[in-house]
Amino acid sequence: MSDIAVKTSDHVVARDRLSEDWLSVAIGVLVFALALFSLSGTDLLGWAITTSVYINLTQALAPLAKGYAWLGGGASLLATYAALLVMLSIGVAALGADVRKFALAFTVVFAIAYASWVAGSYAYIAAVTPAEQQKFGIAWSLKLTNEGGFVVALLSGLVIANFFPRFANWLKEAIRPELYIKIAIVILGATVAVTAVGRLNLASSILIRGAAAIVEAYLIYWAVVYYVARKWFGFSREWSVPLASGISICGVAAAIATGGAIRARPAVPILVSSLVVVFAVVEVLILPFLAQTFLWQEPLVAGAWIGLAVKTDGAAVAGGGITEALIMAKAAAEGIKYQPGWILATTATVKVFIDIFIGVWAFILGYIWTNHIDKGPDKARPSEIWERFPKFILGFIVVFAISLWLALGTTPDIAKALPAAAGEANVFRVIFFILTFFSIGVLSDFRKLWQQGFAKLAAVYFVSLFGFVIWVGLLISWLFFSGVKPPLVS
Amino acid sequence: MSQSEFECESGNAAEPLLPIEKKLIGWSLGIGVVSLAILVILNHFLPIAV
Repeated sequence: MSDIAVKTSDHVVARDRLSEDWLSVAIGVLVFALALFSLSGTDLLGWAITTSVYINLTQALAPLAKGYAWLGGGASLLATYAALLVMLSIGVAALGADVRKFALAFTVVFAIAYASWVAGSYAYIAAVTPAEQQKFGIAWSLKLTNEGGFVVALLSGLVIANFFPRFANWLKEAIRPELYIKIAIVILGATVAVTAVGRLNLASSILIRGAAAIVEAYLIYWAVVYYVARKWFGFSREWSVPLASGISICGVAAAIATGGAIRARPAVPILVSSLVVVFAVVEVLILPFLAQTFLWQEPLVAGAWIGLAVKTDGAAVAGGGITEALIMAKAAAEGIKYQPGWILATTATVKVFIDIFIGVWAFILGYIWTNHIDKGPDKARPSEIWERFPKFILGFIVVFAISLWLALGTTPDIAKALPAAAGEANVFRVIFFILTFFSIGVLSDFRKLWQQGFAKLAAVYFVSLFGFVIWVGLLISWLFFSGVKPPLVS
Repeated sequence: MSQSEFECESGNAAEPLLPIEKKLIGWSLGIGVVSLAILVILNHFLPIAV
């Protein structure tokens, strides 16, 4: 029962979880702070790489800012890689990881992940509107937008995980989806704030409706999945708690937190976590396309649904990104141009709200278990709520609050320059999304599903997820968000 | 944890639902459904401001 997924999940989420949380805050806030220098006219991040939809590969890459155009695409890509390598190497060194192994593995991870992103920007894959197709001189395209590169990165990772397991194992030091997505979420705080400033009423309404996600995940999903695991499938309490938490709340983090709270052996939530990652991949490959087909006229329902249905922060928020790209593409083809950012912001809001209460729920379960079920000297402590609190959310809130203050509480000049600064930070958010998608793919060993015994865990997951979780999530998203559209581009 | 241990532990658990577990499930679902109903009603009277 040992494989790449389990091993990497182990080092990613168990031993380093707390440290990775704080590291993600540090890196995310650093990127945001560097981007803010542009408010004073000093562009510190304009050299970062961006990719445009292309038909001729030589025109795909370019630095973000015109002031750095002299660098060219190649040097910009190298500079971005070098900056990320240095920043992350220092970070993982602080976590006690082998920096040399990380640097080597990260080089390959970055190369494959970014190559996937570039491949996804090929006009035959990414071009959306007839005007774009005409511009590139092509008769057809998959219309995935350039964010279809996320799917290409995910598929690249899946191929490596399932056909080249030794190579996947060699990469594992740099396969850190939790770290990458948490950094991305911290940076996302700036984009969400800039998006919200334009329509504060809508933004605050979405925020309030995030409360429904908490009720749904913790009180309804969890209870039903726990019952299904215990009663229908005969799992023990030790297995059922992490399983219910993984399926209902927030995948890996919740399985680890609640498993620890009920004093389960570490291997139990780790095994559950690897299953969570596999199913999250399946969801990310299916749900955004279903949302595009059936919910394109209800974009915020789609955004909330992805946040409620897809487990693990990485897959959910990244899935929200794909969903936004696909729905905006479909709407654009129909002549409707939505402002970007609202669908992703809805997904992120729902996910962040759910994450906040992981510690509280773990404490409640821990209290019940240590006082009523497995009575012993090791009682649950209130301090565990803070210990299990996902700290990266603090980084998201700080970046969001500072951005909101800069937009509303300072001079008009600063407010006007803020979207460009947030845009610079957003380039790195996208890169961390790409790294997340690729890493999730590399962790997803589908052979695990065919292993005897593990199939039963997967059966609980399958029955709960596809028989209950995604449909109830859709119903509740519909109840709270139907009829609400993102603002149109003026 | 070996394959056989995993199968044995996860697949053949003979742990009946305790009253405290039934309470946890029942109260969670009860509070959840009532809370959702309240939120739906609030949502109806305080629609999203576009």
